[in-house]
Amino acid sequence: MVSYILRRVLATLPVMAIVALFVFSLLYIAPGDPAAVIAGDQASPADVERIRQSLGLDRPFLVQFGSWLWLILHGDLGTSIFTNLPVTSLIAQRIEPTLSLMTITLVLTIFIAVPLGVVAAWKAGSWVDRAIMAFAVSAFSLPVFVVGYILAYVFALELEWFPVQGYTPLAEGFWPWLENLILPAVALGCVYIALIARITRASMLEVLQQDYIRTARAKGLGQRNILFIHALKNAAVPIITVIGIGVALLIGGAVVTESVFAIPGLGRLTVDAILRRDYPVIQGIVLLFSFLYVLVNLVVDLTYTLVDPRIRY
Amino acid sequence: MTVLTTHTAPVPPGLAIAPQLPELLLPVKIRRGIVGFLRNHPTVAIGGALLLCLVLVGIFAPYLGTVDPTAIAPARRTRAPSAEFWFGTDLLGRDIYSRVLYGARVSLTVGLSVALLASLAGLAIGLVSGFLRRADTILMRFMDGLMSIPPILLAIALMALTRGSVGNVILAITIAEIPRVSRLVRGVVLSLREQPYVDAAVASGTRAPMIILRHILPNTLAPMLVQATYVCASAMIVESILSFIGAGTPPTIPSWGNIMAEGRALWQIKPYIVFFPAAFLSATVLAVNLVGDGLRDAFDPRMAKSL
Repeated sequence: MVSYILRRVLATLPVMAIVALFVFSLLYIAPGDPAAVIAGDQASPADVERIRQSLGLDRPFLVQFGSWLWLILHGDLGTSIFTNLPVTSLIAQRIEPTLSLMTITLVLTIFIAVPLGVVAAWKAGSWVDRAIMAFAVSAFSLPVFVVGYILAYVFALELEWFPVQGYTPLAEGFWPWLENLILPAVALGCVYIALIARITRASMLEVLQQDYIRTARAKGLGQRNILFIHALKNAAVPIITVIGIGVALLIGGAVVTESVFAIPGLGRLTVDAILRRDYPVIQGIVLLFSFLYVLVNLVVDLTYTLVDPRIRY
Repeated sequence: MTVLTTHTAPVPPGLAIAPQLPELLLPVKIRRGIVGFLRNHPTVAIGGALLLCLVLVGIFAPYLGTVDPTAIAPARRTRAPSAEFWFGTDLLGRDIYSRVLYGARVSLTVGLSVALLASLAGLAIGLVSGFLRRADTILMRFMDGLMSIPPILLAIALMALTRGSVGNVILAITIAEIPRVSRLVRGVVLSLREQPYVDAAVASGTRAPMIILRHILPNTLAPMLVQATYVCASAMIVESILSFIGAGTPPTIPSWGNIMAEGRALWQIKPYIVFFPAAFLSATVLAVNLVGDGLRDAFDPRMAKSL
């Protein structure tokens, strides 16, 4: 088990190295000369050259990549071109809303999508199943900001059940925090719910045909017991896999959802950074999110053994 | 002897109902040709018809009662939908109906181009890495790395490097989609390589390029086509997201994402500015997804039951 965990962790290293190389090349080929920017308008070419040397920008690509990587491993993501603040502190300021939004969405999704998928598989072919699958197809086709605007219009502007926009930190109380995040979380979770409901249904349909389910029925177990304990447990591995893969949807969607609901998170930081062409910030965010994504999928890999004891490494 | 007559060989139950068979089994009509295929797979027909309408709307946008979609008229800003301005006017007095119709061109161009380019590139990479062991390790490590950057972020990062233009948007989304397509093709190639007919072709001395062309390529087409429709749908969504956050097509070109981005500031009081492009975008993506689901069911009936 320990050696399995170790092997999985080591296997993520080359992936992260390629992400890092890619993200670094992005900054390397980005238009604009940082040395010229720092030197200012009045600088002579010699000054620019001197600054370039002091920044190490005249060194070969791989040497620069190495020293950049060294800094990153020490928690230094560079300095924002626009605000002159360290990228790490900019990210730290904005990370709470984004992580809050993603956590709530994840919890909400799992609690809605898995039961939906189970019911659809149980009632396969019935109108309930058809309705759930029709919802899944339409949710796949509705872009996250469209869902966001519809929800905000109906539940915030018309019904006034929730605030229209904004964010309240968790430190100011649980309810105000949650109240602001429910609509964004539903909007962001829509595609994700569709995805997981579909995979849950597919996986459950397969399991429900197994002999041990017939045995469970024969010995008189209740329907709920069969579905949620016997079947779901055996159908869990593909579901967990897709939950992990789907985090990519969540990350991409969070950027947009934050714009719609005016949540001051990493998504807003990304949008601002793009408009200002603030490459170090973009770089830092891409690195962070990719790292998060790889980490989530590593955890997913490790939970297989917990969910399904038959899997041994 | 009477015993024998009473015990005449009993007719097997299967044969007994034989005369009734034509009534019991519904006649199976084998439908051929495109029309037959569409009748067997109504989702493809519905999605295809909707998509065709939208393509026609895009192509014939200038003849559908539209005006210049970029014509600014400050005197008639933010008019609500009326007989004169079917979808209303935006902040600069531009006709939203015209902008939405012309916007179909951008979405469809981006969706179809990305689907085509990503399929071709993914096919090439998938074939190479499915056939050359040494290239496989390097290529797939690289693809794993690219795949661990969420596609929208990857497209955003690439767009930050260049000017906003339709071509650059297509390129950025294509790069973000290639890893998934090449993974799929590689998987198909690896399973096809184990097929007896490929062994037979190898044994009879067929050269690798010929095997790829005659035996591998035709079998990758069906899953590729299904994947291409999903890439197309996803590309249209990503394009609108990029434009919506200001990293996509330049504001001078009316695209659905741009129209929504411009309507964003006013959406609480003038929701129709956002509504019409949103409805068109959703309908287009839905049409493409319906075609994709239908094709998947048609090509893989076993999957059709479960998904």
